[in-house]
Amino acid sequence: MSEIAHQNHSEKKAFLVNSSSLRDVRSFCRGVFEKLQINNDLKEELVLAIAEAAQNIVKHAFKNNADANELMVVQISCESNKLQIAFYDRGTPVDPKKVKHREIDNVKPGGLGTFFIQEIMDAVEFKDGKRPWINHLVLTKQL
Amino acid sequence: MSYKVTEEGNVATIHLDGEIDMDVTEKAKEVIFPHIEGGKEVHLNLSNVQYMDSSGISVLIESHQKALEKNTKVIIKDVSKSVLKVIMMAKLEQILNLE
Repeated sequence: MSEIAHQNHSEKKAFLVNSSSLRDVRSFCRGVFEKLQINNDLKEELVLAIAEAAQNIVKHAFKNNADANELMVVQISCESNKLQIAFYDRGTPVDPKKVKHREIDNVKPGGLGTFFIQEIMDAVEFKDGKRPWINHLVLTKQL
Repeated sequence: MSYKVTEEGNVATIHLDGEIDMDVTEKAKEVIFPHIEGGKEVHLNLSNVQYMDSSGISVLIESHQKALEKNTKVIIKDVSKSVLKVIMMAKLEQILNLE
């Protein structure tokens, strides 16, 4: 747990749903985490978790085939040293029961993104998406 | 991502530079795989790769497995601290050849 009292803060940004946006998602996150004075090691872990979740939207919710103007929104909020990252998208509805990573000892390409998210974050929760959104993923971590 | 390839004898040394994510994995495969398929030992220098996600890790796994099929090997050299952390999170430090 962090010894720093991180300021309460919230920012959100919309990104086009494509793999080229992942760099922009990381840049946005790094900027917010710098404002929150999160140390570099934790910052890069959080950036990885967020980028993996965004990648899952591109790859799975839209199957790498989103319309050119389709958007996903990432919202980072910190309140009382609890970090909450929310994702909103209009892709295929996610069935949380089917979101599984591969067995970590069964070494093969793929299936690690969800594992990284679960390793880094305290909680991963799919909530009901409110219009116009379909999927609403929330990641949380106590700082 | 940018890259530089040098060849000496049966060894192809590939320096990757930048961030390796889903957006550049196809390019990374196009750079690495032909050398493995040609039976070369590949030295993959990651000293200038500061970020790698699960897609990049998949390229490392696929490269390693392809090399085994071709009776050669991929050696990952000078891995940056941040990428090593991701490799260790994936519990691959004993599977991949790290130097």
